[in-house]
Formats: sequence, C-alpha cells, structure tokens
Amino acid sequence: MGVIDLDWLQLSISFLILGIPAFILWKYRTGLNRKLFSATLRMVLQLLFVGFYLQYLFEYDHPLINISWILVMVVVADFATLDRSDLKRTKSLLIPIFLATFFGIVLIDLFFLELVINLPKFLAAQYAIPITGMVLGNCLRSNVIGIHSFYYSVKENRERYRFYLALGASRKEAVFPFFKEALKRSANPTLATMATIGLVSLPGMMTGQILSGSSPLIAIKYQIMIMLAIFSGTVLSVYLGIRISNKFVFDSADNLDESIFKPEKES
Amino acid sequence: MLEDFSLEIEMGDHLVLKGASGTGKTTLLRLILGFEEPTAGNIYYRGRRLENSVIHNIRKESAWLPQDLNLGDGTVKDVFGYPFSFKVNSSNYPGTEEIFKVFNQLNLGSEIWEKNFRDLSTGQRQRVGIALCYLLKKPILLMDEPTSALDEDSRKKAAELLLDKNTTVISTSHDSWWIARCNKIVEF
Repeated sequence: MGVIDLDWLQLSISFLILGIPAFILWKYRTGLNRKLFSATLRMVLQLLFVGFYLQYLFEYDHPLINISWILVMVVVADFATLDRSDLKRTKSLLIPIFLATFFGIVLIDLFFLELVINLPKFLAAQYAIPITGMVLGNCLRSNVIGIHSFYYSVKENRERYRFYLALGASRKEAVFPFFKEALKRSANPTLATMATIGLVSLPGMMTGQILSGSSPLIAIKYQIMIMLAIFSGTVLSVYLGIRISNKFVFDSADNLDESIFKPEKES
Repeated sequence: MLEDFSLEIEMGDHLVLKGASGTGKTTLLRLILGFEEPTAGNIYYRGRRLENSVIHNIRKESAWLPQDLNLGDGTVKDVFGYPFSFKVNSSNYPGTEEIFKVFNQLNLGSEIWEKNFRDLSTGQRQRVGIALCYLLKKPILLMDEPTSALDEDSRKKAAELLLDKNTTVISTSHDSWWIARCNKIVEF
C-alpha cells in the first residue's frame, strides 16, 4: 500500500480532537489553554516553515546549502542549550558549546552518512537533514542536562571544589567528580530509551518510515543506527561542551566565573 | 574587610588568627589560597608576590581544612582516597593500615571506612579532615576552626598530630585551648 497523503481539510479536522484536552484543562482551571493555543500555533508555523524549506533543500540538494542549514540548526541549538541551562549567553559559553555541538554532529554525520550508509552523494539532503535533526535534537536535550548539572554542581559545591584545589588538585582533577556526575545524568535518559525501545514505544523515525512504505525490517535497521548515532552524539557533545567551555569560564587561579549564571528567579 | 594589616609568617610557625566572627580571619586564608583577590595591598610567598604561578605552588605545598568539610556523596573510603589520586599527592598514599592507625589516634573507629561521609557527625567529619590533612604530609596547613566540633580528648590528639615543628600551621580559632598551643597569635 502506498502513502496516503493528507489533504489540508483532513489535517484541519485533526485539530478537532484538541477540544477534549482543552476542555479537561479548562475544567480543572489549569490555566494551560492559552499555552496550548500558542504552542499549537508555534508548532504549525515552525513545521510549515521547515516543510517548505526542506522541499527547497531536497530540490537543490547541494552540500553547501545542506551544511549551511546544519549550521543554522547548531546555532539555534547553541542558544537554546544556554537558555534552558539557566546560563547567560556569554561568549565564554556560546562559542565552546557551538564548537562542541558542531564537531560532535560533523563526526557523527561523517561516520554514519558517509562510512556506514555510504551515500552516493555527499551529505544528500534526504538523509543528512533528518538524521542530523534527530541527533541534534537529542544533543540539545543532553547538553541542557549535562551543562546545567556540571556548572550548577560546581557552584553549589564551591567549597568542595576549592577544597580539592587547596590540596593541590589541577582544575581537571578538581572538577572530575562534577564532570562524572554530569555525564551520568546526561547519558541516562538515552540509555533508558535504548533499553525500552520497541517495547514501550515505537520511535518516530521508524514509525515515519513504515508509514511512508518502507518495510519494517529496513525501518528497524535505520532505527538501530539512529539510536547509536544519538547516543554517541549526545555523549560526545556533552563531553566536548564541558571540556571546551572549561577553558574559558575559569580564571587562571581556577576560580569559576560566576557571572555565567542567570540570577535566581524569585519564587 | 582587612585594613591596615600586615603579617609575616615564618616556616614552622604555628599561627592562630583569633577574633570575633566576621572580622576577616577566614578571608585571609582564602586570600592566601587564591580564592579571593585582595582589593588593595600584596601577599608574598617565599619572597614572590602572590600571582597565579605562586598560588598554584602554595596549593601544591599546603593542605586546607575548611570549617564544614563537604566531601560529597560516597563512602569515607572513596572520598578519603580521592585527594591522593591527584598527581601532586599520588606518592603520599599511606595505605589503609596507616590510615586506620591515624583514625584510631583521633578516636575514629575503622568501621566508619564503609559509611557514607554525609552520614557522619560534624565531629567525625572534622576528624576525618584532620586525618586527611595530616596524611597528605604537606609542609603548610591552613585550617579554619580545626577544633570547633571536637571534644577535649580529640582536640589534644589532633594537636599532637598537626602541631609538628616541621609544619607551618595557619589557623583560625575561638578555642582558647588551641590558641594556647600556637606560638604566634594574631588578634583581629
């Protein structure tokens, strides 16, 4: 069976179902309906924009245009990582996190797209854009957990960090326990997903491939590959993000520049 | 906080800074360790002005005992061993026999070895910190209220270990017993 295309009327009908959660949220006075409206509107507009843009990308399919789009995605992820980590957009963080995410993505893309899949065309848009997007989305989530955990742990455990320094530790040795914890926290959600995938949930990429007519076996092979790419990409970007930013946010006496933290919100 | 202040410390001095809370005693220790920068004035170490390379040298040659020691979540065995894994301290690892001997001198039973550090009492944590500072065999000890949570017997034993003639001790204290055992007293 081929793909059943949705016409715009069918898509519009699907919005009717939102009436049920909107009613429940209204009945319990959650105050979330305004948020639901703006989130739905944003989702539609962003996806429409990406849909049209991807059509353009796929039509031209030029490696330079594809790389430019990947760069745009990395820049957006860079700003989003800092905002969601409650860290300020300082140069000392923006540039290192950008470099870490970019190098992580480039390595993963080159390995999986060029070595494993062996694309007939360098960075072909049909493969490069969705796979990069999936890895990057997960890198963003892991970076937020890892970078937030690392810097806030060092801040909250300032005395412990200083204690290690005062006993002669290098900065690398003094941050090691916090680095270890940040890596564990950021890797755990992906590991949990890997351990339950297929049993608890059918992942989006696999579902999409099956819906578009691929055999489940092909979809599964791609899904396994994408999970390996996601796990490797997330660990690599968190590792590089912390390592590279560490060079810029500590002074030469190894004291953390605490101006990187956003002021605490008043509750 | 510290104004019109001058102090010279000789190697082997057992110096104590005494005075009311909030007068800058702990700040002085933090300044020596490079955790804070003086807004005016200078600090010299072995004739060299305190700048980054000198700060790193001081840290290599010293051990620091804060008033409320936090070594994180983990057994005493794990958190005690970690500072000995630093490159600068790796040759000083004493082995468990020596560690237990020092624990014993400080009235700490060896059973705390497998306990979570966070579950120890303030006094036990302080004694673990004292044992650590002693076993690191550093020529300089900087200690903030080292006897604040110790009973009479434990503080005597702590003083026996720490106030060695070859060790320079810079401490803050409100404890008259400890103050009486130091050979240089600076009042704030």
